[in-house]
Amino acid sequence: MGSTTGKTIEVGQELPRLVKEISQRQIDAYSGVRPHSIHTDEAWARKKGFSGTLVQGMMSTAYISELMIHLLGKGFVEGGKMSVAFIKPVCAGDRLTVGGVVKDKVVEEEGTRLVVEVWCENQSGEKVTVGTASGLLH
Amino acid sequence: MAEFKELTYENLQVGEEFFSGEHVVTPEDIETYAFAVDDHHPWFFDDSPFGGPIAHPTLLGNQALRLRSTKYMVRGGLHAKQEFEFLQPIRPGMRVRTKGKLTDKYERRGKQYMVTEFVTIDEHGTELVRGKFTQMLFK
Repeated sequence: MGSTTGKTIEVGQELPRLVKEISQRQIDAYSGVRPHSIHTDEAWARKKGFSGTLVQGMMSTAYISELMIHLLGKGFVEGGKMSVAFIKPVCAGDRLTVGGVVKDKVVEEEGTRLVVEVWCENQSGEKVTVGTASGLLH
Repeated sequence: MAEFKELTYENLQVGEEFFSGEHVVTPEDIETYAFAVDDHHPWFFDDSPFGGPIAHPTLLGNQALRLRSTKYMVRGGLHAKQEFEFLQPIRPGMRVRTKGKLTDKYERRGKQYMVTEFVTIDEHGTELVRGKFTQMLFK
């Protein structure tokens, strides 16, 4: 696994999408079970105005990281960058699709940096996380 | 002994610093993370091009995100933005810690935000991950 497609990929190309169905057990493992947590305490989450427990936004960065490692391998683990905004809440039981489109290739001292527009969208087709990620072609 | 103030917009001081405790990255951490994010890449369990297994690059994100809890009683909040720079692979056995600095706080559309820059280092002081995050405060 790793950078099997990075060298040949072109600007405008869409990356193979990932699908993530997020269970409460996974949220518990990620966030740690605590009282008064919007991630793991359903009563508290409802008190704060949400329909149920929320997925930590940080979990989306892991999904985008997976997408980028599939694309670039080493060049994301060592030299990768990411900048994202969490624009809609994600709840336990939601199904996210993680996608990306190559936007640019930038020549740097260490090599060529591939810049990808990335996003996660929910089962209703609404974007929940948006931003960019990049890494080095080796 | 540390004194914990309530996390309020007024109490936060731009320029103040935060320091996590040390944590040894274990194979169990990596396995738990793989389950949580449903990513079982072989580099996390077997060999990798870096020599031996590595952790997911975002493994230590929560160590950074929870920095404010080392000084404040936190009633929670929402994560609004996140930036990462992955500098070196994280490996099992590393003794890691994160330091951060509050670089901005602002109010927008009736909501209050804090911005923290951070760096995570290993026991030799080698920088592993840098970044910045914006958190919305619960009132």
